[in-house]
Formats: sequence, structure tokens, C-alpha cells
Amino acid sequence: MAASVGIVLVSHSAALAAGTAELAGQVGGGAVLIVPAGGTFDGRLGTSADKVLSAIQSAAAGGGGVVVLPDLGSSVLTVRSLLANGELTSLGPVELADAPFVEGAVAAAVMAAGGGSLKDVLDAAREARHAGKL
Amino acid sequence: MPESSEATVTLTGDLHARPAGALTMAAAKFSAEVVLSVGGREANAKSVLAVMQLGASRGQPVTVRAVGADAAEAVAAVTEILTAATKVGD
Repeated sequence: MAASVGIVLVSHSAALAAGTAELAGQVGGGAVLIVPAGGTFDGRLGTSADKVLSAIQSAAAGGGGVVVLPDLGSSVLTVRSLLANGELTSLGPVELADAPFVEGAVAAAVMAAGGGSLKDVLDAAREARHAGKL
Repeated sequence: MPESSEATVTLTGDLHARPAGALTMAAAKFSAEVVLSVGGREANAKSVLAVMQLGASRGQPVTVRAVGADAAEAVAAVTEILTAATKVGD
């Protein structure tokens, strides 16, 4: 089986990350590894570097690299600091996507489920910025 | 000259998120460019968000056009998804 790209959804809210993962997973036909990393360990709103690291480790299991979508603000900072600290280097390529959270997750999930490369999945997430809803 | 192919399907259900995802994944398997058109709007069939943005609903005719070496196969695969997936509804 070809390597597949994993997706990590980083949100301040566990419910938002989990719900977006559920939605994107269904649109992707269940054929894609999407790991939510939302909230803090004690159930508050916030981001946890340990949760994000663990989610990236899980998502990297597909072997095709990982695309990380952050929701807002410190989600971005948390992922950036993991990247900068070199804690992710052993996990293969990890890309942080500048993309709208829901649309980016759905577009990335479909691209990953269809066997897209890391670049394809990252581009699909980024291009979601330009897609309208109406 | 690249090959081109075209077919029209009348939807038996709305083209919601899940069928849009299935359609996009089917279209992505082909090298041909695949375009859906419905009610004067067009979308790249390989972009799930563009397909959802069409807002295609039950009873509307959707035309699938493909251009490329595997155009005929791409149109067959996409029309099959349109016929089957939209029966589910959501």
C-alpha cells in the first residue's frame, strides 16, 4: 500500500477539533487518518504541545507526511514551537497549513483519501481559502 | 488533439458534502480535466469545495465534461458516482 498523508487538527477546543475531524473524515469516505488535538489535558480551552505532539506522532504512521491545520493564534504558535524545537524531525515531513479550519480540513481530507501527496494535500488545504460557500 | 467526453445526469438527490467527497476522489484518479456544470455554474470536479459550492440539488441536470487521454473513463466514473451517491441524500 502506498504511503498516505495524515492530518492533524489543532484547536483551542477539543469539541471543535473532534467535530471537524469527524466531518472531514466522513466527506473523505473514512479513508484518511485525521487526528484531532484540541483543548488542554484538563478539559479547558487552550492548546497543549503534548497533545499536538502525540497527534502528529499518530498521524505520521501513514508514512506520507503530516499536514497540520491550526484554528487560531496560539494553535499556530504551539505547532511552530514544536517545529522549531526539532521535536518532529524524526517523524518525517510535517507541514503547517495556512488555511481555513473547516474547509481546509475537508479539502485536505478528500485529497489525502484520494491518495494525494503531501504537497497535494497541503495545496488543497491552502486553496480552500479561495473557495466560496454560496 | 486531446480526447474529450461529456455526459449529463439528472440528480436523484442533493449533491451534499459526502457525495461531493466521493465524486472528487473518483475524479482525482484520472489525468483528464473534469468540469461539472449545473444551472450555468461550473466547478472543477477535483475540488471538493468547488463541487459543494455548486449547490446542485435533486432534479437538476449536471453535465460532466472531461478533456484528456482518459476523458471517457473519467466521465463514466463521475457520472456513476453522481447517479449512485446522490441517492443517499445527505
